[in-house]
Amino acid sequence: MDGLPTHRRLPDLVVLPGTREELIAVVRLLAAHDVPFVPRGAGTGLSGGALADEGSVLIVLTRLNRILKMDAGNRAAIVEPGVVNAKLSAAAQPHGLQYAPDPSSQSACTIGGNVAENAGGPHCLKYGVTANHVLALELLLADGTMVESGSPGGEPWGPDLVGLFVGSEGNFGIATKITVRLTPLPRAVRTMLADFNGLRTAGEAVSAIIAAGIVPAALEMMDQSCIAAVEDSVYAAGYPRDAAAVLLVELDGRNEAGVIAETEAVAELLRKSGARSVRIAASEAERERLWQGRKKAFGAMGRLSRDLVVQDAVVPRSALPQVLETICTIAKRYDLVVSNVFHAGDGNLHPNISFDATDPALKQRVEAASAEIMSTCIAAGGTITGEHGVGIDKLRYMPLIFDPESLGAMQAVRRVFDPKERVNPGKVVPVHACREWTSIRSAKFGMRNDDRQFNSAFPISHSTLEPVP
Amino acid sequence: MTRGGFEGLDACVHCGFCLQACPTFLATGDESDSPRGRIELMRALERGDLTADDAALAYHLDRCLGCRGCEPVCPSGVQYGHGLEAARARLTTARGVPRLARMALWALTTPGVSAVVYWFARVLRATGLPRLFAGWGRFRFAMGMLAATKPDGKRRYGTVRDGEGRRITPTVPYRPLPSLTVQLFRGCVQDGLFSHVHDATVRTLGINGYDVREVSGQGCCGALHAHAGLIDEARELARKNVDAFGDGEEPIVVNSAGCGAMMKEYGRLLGDERCERLAARVRDVTELLAGDAIKGPVPGAPLDLHVAYDPPCHLLHAQGVAVPPLKLFAAIPLLELVHVPGAAECCGSAGLFTLLEPEMSRAVLAAKIERLRVAAPQVVATGNPGCVMQIGAGLAAARVPARVRHPVELLDDSYRAAGRYE
Repeated sequence: MDGLPTHRRLPDLVVLPGTREELIAVVRLLAAHDVPFVPRGAGTGLSGGALADEGSVLIVLTRLNRILKMDAGNRAAIVEPGVVNAKLSAAAQPHGLQYAPDPSSQSACTIGGNVAENAGGPHCLKYGVTANHVLALELLLADGTMVESGSPGGEPWGPDLVGLFVGSEGNFGIATKITVRLTPLPRAVRTMLADFNGLRTAGEAVSAIIAAGIVPAALEMMDQSCIAAVEDSVYAAGYPRDAAAVLLVELDGRNEAGVIAETEAVAELLRKSGARSVRIAASEAERERLWQGRKKAFGAMGRLSRDLVVQDAVVPRSALPQVLETICTIAKRYDLVVSNVFHAGDGNLHPNISFDATDPALKQRVEAASAEIMSTCIAAGGTITGEHGVGIDKLRYMPLIFDPESLGAMQAVRRVFDPKERVNPGKVVPVHACREWTSIRSAKFGMRNDDRQFNSAFPISHSTLEPVP
Repeated sequence: MTRGGFEGLDACVHCGFCLQACPTFLATGDESDSPRGRIELMRALERGDLTADDAALAYHLDRCLGCRGCEPVCPSGVQYGHGLEAARARLTTARGVPRLARMALWALTTPGVSAVVYWFARVLRATGLPRLFAGWGRFRFAMGMLAATKPDGKRRYGTVRDGEGRRITPTVPYRPLPSLTVQLFRGCVQDGLFSHVHDATVRTLGINGYDVREVSGQGCCGALHAHAGLIDEARELARKNVDAFGDGEEPIVVNSAGCGAMMKEYGRLLGDERCERLAARVRDVTELLAGDAIKGPVPGAPLDLHVAYDPPCHLLHAQGVAVPPLKLFAAIPLLELVHVPGAAECCGSAGLFTLLEPEMSRAVLAAKIERLRVAAPQVVATGNPGCVMQIGAGLAAARVPARVRHPVELLDDSYRAAGRYE
């Protein structure tokens, strides 16, 4: 189980190594016995990427949580994979630095998991995603060999293996030491909240800001049902409940005057695009509150319903208004609660469908609506994941955007690192759609839409969305 | 059909935002020792996928401090404490209460028996031996806990004198306030080993316009029983207190955070209106002293002290009382609050937990003691007897030279230095 409520798996064994040496010994032992394994960080992922099946061993990396080196002079840090994202930024802060990628789960998620998923976050609009902030990696491959890639300066020596590894969703091995780039804290920051009467107008405001050539540090959108969930929670930020959507815009820079001028320009653009009001955070505390509401929004979804489908599509920003409207129509047609909370500036949508999985008829409607939302996004020129990864949740959508040749090529690359496909088996590439379907093992760990029962203390179906036997 | 508290867990969508707020997860890094992991176990217990005699289930639920540090960070408002109580009641039905817990409850909360136990403890404490023996082992830690209950006697910390050696008294004149009657809850451990905190409570409330009345026939609040899964016994004790405190309107003042949290839940525990009304009268002593949040308590004389405030979980998380204790410190001029990172994390005391799960309890405590060593306050202030003993024992074992005090004791010292009691 991880951050995605719809999937559960029960591994045969869970190992929690306490040191790098123990981790290496465990992986070598598993290699000697040819046992598949799945690395896991804090388990906040939203694609089921860290779930381990029966037959595999789950290696939990939370205890490898040391910051090995804080090199303020070279604006870099070396960390173990289990270091919590927010704790790294907190440790860098006294040096006037931060670790820029800030997933909403940053208070819990680990750098190792961020590397595996190439995690994004609100501020990645301006600062770039995880891949832009990893300089070097020490890797432990499935067969137990140690490999170093990257360089202290970040410029690849030879092919960019770091770039290849970041975002490989645990399919290439485990990063045992991660050298990250640290970024100076901005000297001036302004955060504002704009509220709108319609999702479409809010979407148009996003396009207007981007078209004006302004690069906000972050540009986030939340719709009405999401606002309600947040406002009912301890992270209530004072978002107007009657608004159809709010935009959270942050601008930062090296000097006060420039940021103030840009803030005024953006406020003006927002008003012109139909914002009912624009509120600029007057204090650091208010700014923090505005952000906490946004960052904890996913966790607050439990207030709407116990089960939740989380999507992660990316569409061209210019298509945002139209796509949002279509999602609304789909939600209405299937009579479902769809909440949108997402990185508008990147066009990275997170439509969340809240439902009660104990109602089988409802489950079918959710399934149909999810598929329809996804095909809408793809038709608009988008793709199936922006930052959550494919994992097991989006396996079924992979054939919608890749042909068998491309999927085969992906698998071939993976086999360079892990010829037996023992690390995180059955994720990312749907082997049944792949022409290069060669081994029995791949089939076994392929897309699991069978209705096989577990022989375990947790007799839970694979997914609340999968058919009930 | 009532689900006995398990319904409080329904809102969990496993986002994992609770993990870093959980002292036991921070100690082990094991999901099963985290709120999210335990919620999964409790859900499996409710569904019947796991039985109450499952060893692994009991192992991880027993290792939960019940500090509820996960509740205030949960965006979905999961009622973890209610779920835990329901799960523990099932475990207790299945396997009974561990003998050690049974013995401790008998010795500490049975009227008659406990009087002898506390008398013996006070005699031992007076010899000064517990302080010498304080350390990390089971026996030595218990000695450290006992030593931490010792009042400071005539020694006063931080009193400020002028150039001629005279005490500096406040310039604010003191006018006696119209007095309001309140009833004092004495509790078991708090009464047996911390009667000096009761004395300080009565005196400081007196200065702030409260006439404190003793109430006969009261007893243990039942919190330790409820945490051990002995719901029926907890109800019996609660009923006794409801009868003792009667149906008046006076606030009931409690200076032990664990008892206060329990008593504020009497309505839910007993499920009737009379208990609901009684629960609504319960106030932590700091809530009464802080009065209206703007002015705070009557100021005292300056105390030149560096104080680290360690909010008890049952005050901060269970009762949601965060600001009133700070108002107390603000009423003492010159007193400086030292920031200690992670102060709001549990100390590992958690009622009988320190006795039943010493390994986890010490692991959680050790992290706090290390941070206190770095922050180096002269006094650690906390408003719960369990926390005073736990932190006191930890400081003594680690040879960190700081005393642990209830916040009202500091205010009491400040009032005495100001001559308010003369």
